[in-house]
Amino acid sequence: MTASMRIASVRLLSKTRHYFSSEVAVQPGARTVHHQPASTRNVCLIPVAFLHKGRAYGTQSSSVTVTEEPDLLFQKLSVLVKSHDKAVLDSYEFFATLAAKELGLTLAKVFEPPKNIERLTLLKSVHIFKKHRVQYEMRTHYRCIEISRITGSTSRVYLEYIQRNLPEGVAMEVTKTAIEKVPDHIQMPLWSVQSQEKQGSQ
Amino acid sequence: MAASLRHSTLFTTVCRQLNSTLWLNVGGRSIHSSAVCCKNRAARIRVGKGDRPVTYEQALHPHQIAHRKGWLSQHTSNLQGEDGAADRTVEDLFIRRLIYGTFHGCLADELVIKRRGNLLVICALMLQKLPPHKYYFLVGYTEELLSHFYKCPVKMEIQMLEEKSVYKYL
Repeated sequence: MTASMRIASVRLLSKTRHYFSSEVAVQPGARTVHHQPASTRNVCLIPVAFLHKGRAYGTQSSSVTVTEEPDLLFQKLSVLVKSHDKAVLDSYEFFATLAAKELGLTLAKVFEPPKNIERLTLLKSVHIFKKHRVQYEMRTHYRCIEISRITGSTSRVYLEYIQRNLPEGVAMEVTKTAIEKVPDHIQMPLWSVQSQEKQGSQ
Repeated sequence: MAASLRHSTLFTTVCRQLNSTLWLNVGGRSIHSSAVCCKNRAARIRVGKGDRPVTYEQALHPHQIAHRKGWLSQHTSNLQGEDGAADRTVEDLFIRRLIYGTFHGCLADELVIKRRGNLLVICALMLQKLPPHKYYFLVGYTEELLSHFYKCPVKMEIQMLEEKSVYKYL
């Protein structure tokens, strides 16, 4: 049992590393998807958080592709997470900032936009009793992580890692601000081009 | 003369009023009539003789959610700017009734339903009433049935308890 536990943890480590660099030697036999028999499911000795149950999460290992087209550049990548629970957002922020630091990304801003409370006042009773009402509220807490000057492939890797580990009950909105090269036809202002032509003709 | 008379009548009326209020407050009994639904009764177990065992979930009232209680159903559709709340609620109700019926008498506490993307995770605390192979069969059966019904992967994570965990007696 302990041998299989150790192998399971090593497989998880190699799986996450594979996203970041293809030069790391992948352990032999670690490419197969986890397949835990159902009989051992509830008899595990290690906590569930460390075990990677492969059925729903299993993906084929993606090889790094090299293309000729230039990579997209983003001036700003803004990740806004929303939840009802502030503690969950705190821990997720720690996780995302740690991941960004490990990848070497520049964290421009990590801040907490003000929470939003939506309140409803409803009648307490089914039939009459208009004076007796019940009030409900739904609180949405936010957290924003802004990363500046990131490439398209890095952002894809980072976002995939972040999103695969998104806790339940947490929603994410991603805003990317891309940088593009200025088109050639507006490099020079029109009036300077016309004045050059006039000077040329003169 | 007139002024003094007025003052005296004013004084007597004030005195009478003071006396009357004092009389009502001191040793006063009055009927408090109210409509029937003044008190909140939702998801609360009223304090009784002290012989009824109650779990943590049942003992804390709903205004303690996000303070001393967590959420039983975790999804994103109730957040600001997200939709699908009604569908998720109906699904949750169906799942709770189905599992209450499938594992009749074996559930120790309320279910916790989590949604991670497309995946639906049902976490349940069970009592050791049936032999283990029956539990495995029922878990597989509910997973298959629900995944075919809702067209999404469904996983059940169950934990076994000897008996219901009692928080207090009400």
